[in-house]
Amino acid sequence: MKRKYLTLTLLTASLYGIGQKPADSVYKKQRIAKTQIQVLFSYYSQNGNHSAITGGTGTERLHVYAPEFTITQLPDSLNTFQFNAGVDVITSASMDNIDFVVSSPSRVSERLHLSQGYTRLFKKSNIQAGILAGYSLEAAYMSILAGASLSHTNSSGSREWNGSLKCFFDDLRWGRLNSEYGKPVTLIYPFELRYKEWFSIYRRNSYNLDFAFYQVINPRMQFALFPGVVYQRGLLCTPYHRVYFNDGTTEKVENLPTDRWKVPLAAQLNIFVGARFVIRTYYRYYRDNFGIVANTLQLETPVKVSPFITLSPQIRIYEQSAAYYFRPYNEHNVSETYYTSDYDLSKFSSYKLGLTLRYGPEAKIFRRTLLDGVEVRYAFYKRSDGLTGNILSLLLDMEQSRVRHRHDPVTDPGNE
Amino acid sequence: MWKSRRYDSLAFFVLLGLVLAFTHCRTVKPYQKAYLNDRTMKLGKPDIEKFDESVQTYREGASGGNGKPSGGCGCN
Repeated sequence: MKRKYLTLTLLTASLYGIGQKPADSVYKKQRIAKTQIQVLFSYYSQNGNHSAITGGTGTERLHVYAPEFTITQLPDSLNTFQFNAGVDVITSASMDNIDFVVSSPSRVSERLHLSQGYTRLFKKSNIQAGILAGYSLEAAYMSILAGASLSHTNSSGSREWNGSLKCFFDDLRWGRLNSEYGKPVTLIYPFELRYKEWFSIYRRNSYNLDFAFYQVINPRMQFALFPGVVYQRGLLCTPYHRVYFNDGTTEKVENLPTDRWKVPLAAQLNIFVGARFVIRTYYRYYRDNFGIVANTLQLETPVKVSPFITLSPQIRIYEQSAAYYFRPYNEHNVSETYYTSDYDLSKFSSYKLGLTLRYGPEAKIFRRTLLDGVEVRYAFYKRSDGLTGNILSLLLDMEQSRVRHRHDPVTDPGNE
Repeated sequence: MWKSRRYDSLAFFVLLGLVLAFTHCRTVKPYQKAYLNDRTMKLGKPDIEKFDESVQTYREGASGGNGKPSGGCGCN
């Protein structure tokens, strides 16, 4: 009897032992590292007849070619590195008029910009923290960016808030890209106004505090609120903008206050209707201490023409009141302290019509590279003061993924 | 073009609608998120409109709050 029990115990123990063996290696967890590559090429042309360089009158003809790329590296599910770089090549007819020397066919300038960021997810608290740094350089402008962000998503993923602070430290002196000087030398004034230094400062600091609040309403609807505050201090005018006064003889460089507060508040509501249609609505209210109050309304209705093709028509309507300091050409009074004839600060309304075509095959183009999508977009912009613009953009989205053999604390917590 | 007063009324109704929508939020399970996870439902500005944002920053007085990527005079 004892032998029977002993045999049964040994059999049970061996079966239990076999049952506790690890699962088949087919189901082994592996870490996937991803690299997202985005290439964006934009072209912009505009024409108008209210250039601020010539005091609110004269050509605003401009062409901008702006290629840029962004690489996002996700080595694991916690860390994200991002790098962005681009160049804007600007052909501006009105820029010739700073010197009244017309170069053929018009003056060309460049802007180089770089930025890099890092974000880290703290898994236990579901908080993501990030830092950002950037640099932008053009002939008469240099900007350094430093920023930080914090976001939190709730456990169900239906609610998220985000806060970010971006600080821009700008220097408006010319000379860095000049082969003779190679360093910042002076502010550039219009040719005939270089008989004196109009400003003793050349720096402009901007502090952008932006918040975002995202909320899922139901399986087909979600919305977001975007409140923000912007504070700018320093040289807020452009030193080569002319202003002509109503006495018929006085001409000065544009002058604006050295402090500016801006308060924007935007809301967005996206709704998926049926199986093919999406309605994207956006409204933005804006107010600042220059006296500008602005409203923006945007409606976009993406339609899924096929599983791979999406067509998105868009309309945007905008209106703003004039800044306290704006008067058209020859209408400023000599006794005024602050004055500008920049029509970007005038009272106007505008509309923009756009159409985006997206082809998203998610097809393999190289061994480990996936083409997420290709987008082409055209937009026409018209301002009530006669300025018109055309924007053409091409976007390529690609993704590379590879298996990493290092331990990932999120996907494989058991080995931690 | 629209008058400011009309825009103020519109702003009121948009915000009212959002408040009503917010008070009617319900929990959405992961398997119910097929529509929400669609690319076109993503909140914020699409990446291809990045340059549109730059143009609007320069050509309109109401810039800011859009996360301007870097400096620049926005030549005229």
